[in-house]
Amino acid sequence: MTAARSPRVHLYADGEFMLSYGPQDGPQLLVLQPLFEEMNRCRAMIAGLCRALAGRGIGCWLPDLPGTGESLRALDTLTWEDWLAAVETAAATVREGTGTAPAVLAIRGGALLDHRAGSKRLRLAPTTGRSLLSDLRRSALASGSDPAHPAGYTVSPALAEALGAAAPSLDGEIRTLRLASDDRPADHRIEGMPLWRRPEPETDRDMETALVEEIARWAMA
Amino acid sequence: MTIEDQLRAILRDVLGLDAGRAAALDADTPLFGAMPELDSMAVAGLLTEIEDRLHILIEDDEVGGEMLETFGGLAAFVKGKRGA
Repeated sequence: MTAARSPRVHLYADGEFMLSYGPQDGPQLLVLQPLFEEMNRCRAMIAGLCRALAGRGIGCWLPDLPGTGESLRALDTLTWEDWLAAVETAAATVREGTGTAPAVLAIRGGALLDHRAGSKRLRLAPTTGRSLLSDLRRSALASGSDPAHPAGYTVSPALAEALGAAAPSLDGEIRTLRLASDDRPADHRIEGMPLWRRPEPETDRDMETALVEEIARWAMA
Repeated sequence: MTIEDQLRAILRDVLGLDAGRAAALDADTPLFGAMPELDSMAVAGLLTEIEDRLHILIEDDEVGGEMLETFGGLAAFVKGKRGA
């Protein structure tokens, strides 16, 4: 086990942020985060996964999509195609930087974009755009805020429309992981809590350990 | 697994209830307004998780009233939706 080192900061797609963890030789993994509030809820878990995988010799790359995380762009100016193009550019940046085309780990809504990042893809609890849109709308209704600006997420009508129609692509070499509590089709199930539902960021050590094993085996294969 | 057991698992996962509290949920257990974890934001996540895991669609105008008042009310709503 190598000591956990700080991630490196990269820029891609005209000034968007991407962190990288671990070696730049050997297998490389591009990690597509959940969308909207789920991204914040999963941030600690995903950083933990990246550090653990880096310690196993897998280089991990974690882009913030335009309009999310550290991005300087405003979410309400973005289209769905901007996100698809960003994911493609992030994969190209990894390939140019390391000489290795990355495998893709897509978590929740990240799976709606992953077909533009590569063909070898592992998905954790993929969801549909319709479900994410329902969540945004209900959060807005519940909090009494304007449904067009749900919980601080101002989504353009064009992005909302494309999101509502988005489903994970079936093309490519896809492996799907789901939680044991979710009976929708999957290649493998993991015991754990849906951390993307928890308002306070949490971690689940047993789930993280099981995920690291599963992802490392798949990435090394 | 019964609808009730599936709903107990969903409430446990979404609200972070411990196993004992989730198991103790019965038809008369009050939910919205009585359970501190189930605030209006948590309701959004709860409904979406119920849709995803129990394969139903919930319209905005169906939300509220008896369906969120008690655990039994929620179970009855889901069963009605599933035609069970």
